[in-house]
Amino acid sequence: MSPQVAGQLELLGQVLISGILLGGLYSLIGLGMSLIMGVMKIINLAHGELMMVAMYITFWAFTLAKIDPYVSLLIVFPLMFLLGVSVQKFLLTPVMEADTVLPQNQVLLTVGLGLVLSNLALLFFTANYRSVPVSYASKTIYWDLKLGGQTISLSFSYPFLVAFCIAGVLGASLFIFLAKTDTGRMIRATAQDKRAAALMGINTKRITYITFGLGAALVGAAGALLDPVYYLYPQIGGPFTSKAFVITILGGLGDIPGAVLGGLVLGLAESLGSVYISLGYKDAFGFIIFVLVLIFMPRGLLGRGRA
Amino acid sequence: MAKPRFMQLVTLALLVGGMSASLLLAQGKTFKVGVPLPLTGAEAKFGEMEKQAYEMAVNEINAKGGVKGTNLVLDIQDSGGKPETATAIVEKFITIDKYPIVVGEYSSQCSYAVAGVAEKYKVPYLVVTGAADKITQQGWKNVYRLNPPASLYNMGVFSFFENVAKPKTIAILYENTDFGTSTSKAMKEYCDAHGVNVVLFEGYQAGGVDFKPILQKVKSLRPDVVYMVSYLMDASLLMRQSKELDINPQIFIGGGAGHTLPEFLQNAAEASEYCMSATLWTPQAKYPGAKEFFDNFKKKFDKEPDYHGAEAYAAAYVLADTLKRAKSFTADDIRTALSETNMMTAFGPVKFVSWGKFTNQNRMDTLVLQVINKKFETVWPKEGASAKYVFPAPHWRDRK
Repeated sequence: MSPQVAGQLELLGQVLISGILLGGLYSLIGLGMSLIMGVMKIINLAHGELMMVAMYITFWAFTLAKIDPYVSLLIVFPLMFLLGVSVQKFLLTPVMEADTVLPQNQVLLTVGLGLVLSNLALLFFTANYRSVPVSYASKTIYWDLKLGGQTISLSFSYPFLVAFCIAGVLGASLFIFLAKTDTGRMIRATAQDKRAAALMGINTKRITYITFGLGAALVGAAGALLDPVYYLYPQIGGPFTSKAFVITILGGLGDIPGAVLGGLVLGLAESLGSVYISLGYKDAFGFIIFVLVLIFMPRGLLGRGRA
Repeated sequence: MAKPRFMQLVTLALLVGGMSASLLLAQGKTFKVGVPLPLTGAEAKFGEMEKQAYEMAVNEINAKGGVKGTNLVLDIQDSGGKPETATAIVEKFITIDKYPIVVGEYSSQCSYAVAGVAEKYKVPYLVVTGAADKITQQGWKNVYRLNPPASLYNMGVFSFFENVAKPKTIAILYENTDFGTSTSKAMKEYCDAHGVNVVLFEGYQAGGVDFKPILQKVKSLRPDVVYMVSYLMDASLLMRQSKELDINPQIFIGGGAGHTLPEFLQNAAEASEYCMSATLWTPQAKYPGAKEFFDNFKKKFDKEPDYHGAEAYAAAYVLADTLKRAKSFTADDIRTALSETNMMTAFGPVKFVSWGKFTNQNRMDTLVLQVINKKFETVWPKEGASAKYVFPAPHWRDRK
């Protein structure tokens, strides 16, 4: 094999690795939104802002108490769960119950919530860019592959790899939770048919609290995992809300395994597109796939979501 | 029922009278200037720094008696970094508030939008940080620019190339905004004209999480110089990920903005070491008041200003100087006075000249800085350097 071919292979390998690792994080962001979509039938447009809140919690835990971002997951997860439950209980449910309010207005409420959160962050934390300078931020694991007499050197970013693994564990736990526990079954029942679930004696209101709490906790975990590799500022949420939205559509509305697939597809599309087509349109690739999926596969990549 | 009505009338009269009296008083003593700035949105950090610098300068000016016995007041409004909002704010400044001059904005996009409005209403506008070449290339008579245009940001880097680096190949990565495009185009034109082979010329969208795919491509091309233009925190991600991928050009050079932020040092940490950047200003620059501005700002706001802060600070002084020389506070007289500006500021000399396609454009030398021992040092031009440049930069794996 010639060195040119090896170089091309190395580039392709690196691009695929980057895409999949990034896709893992995207999946985690999409999971929360898809879960909420499945049960409440609304798109949570404050999703990115919830992630921003989690990123600040992680940042302050690290800055003030020297808590490692991965350890702070133990704080972030329950805190974000509580935040999600209160949002559902005190903001969304009252709007849902008012007859005069159209159901779409819950979505508008989440937009407002997002604005309030990002502006509160601006007020209290200022517009400064911050980062969590962990010692392993640019730690890399190299993997040298011998192929046909040529060496292909692939690099795995340590924080991305850890984030991918934790995202995988969280995703798997969510599946088991939904499939095997009573609460999980109740969530699935409510998602399928809320009225029937209520007739079977399920406290659907309580289920919506838990669902929103879980959704917030999942995206919060993604925020904590993102902190060591990215940076944060009050308005960081917006782009991630739209990414989560794209992932949810790719996976099929409310389809949990679909959301995982959607995240991986988005990560791969961004990294492949940026190298082989054009870096400037990186964000466009996700949206192009988004439109194509809407036209040709309106029920999502797995064809199981709601059209 | 006559009594309450009478009392109401008295109250009303007092209110109206008091308000108009205070208005009159205010008009007699203050002069208001409209300043649109991004105080929210992704560019809020810069807007905030500039706001603080403007206010610091205006407080100093007013403490020394203001302008012709008049206190300067800045009416700073948040544009959110959106050109359409900036346009609306400036329309209001000019048509409703009747301000005879507009100063400020941050990004090239917004400055360009504001410049169009100012030209339409024939009100002078002083551009402070927007750098895209086109802003002062439209033949607009009311648009003056304090900062050099983006294509000149690299003058210091070019002279470093000719005298020291002499690169044969270069990879150029830039944020696909007005500023990034102008700066990197100027770099590409220079390289094409001077026999430097541009092996990669690629624009990117700001705010990416993972630049490794494209950096891997850079690595496979083995350029002598990697040149990057980024506004914000992308600068530190690019450097961190270059270190991860073990990319070893002779030198990394940034095109200003993101690579000159104090946050760059914190966020990129050891990955920022030996990275150079074009810059317009450093506190080590040999301009009167430069160091004082830096020290006072740091003391007052507990953070370091970069060249954007210095630009805003100088702009307030240019404004005061112009108003002092203006025959009256009307748009026409202020424009005449602006054209005759010839002064020294903490940011450097300011004089609006026209050459080539440019009109009313300030021209000044630009510098090169390098991160040495986790600090920004001015390394080029040699006269006025605060430290000796390190070139070529050692390979990542060879560093301690």
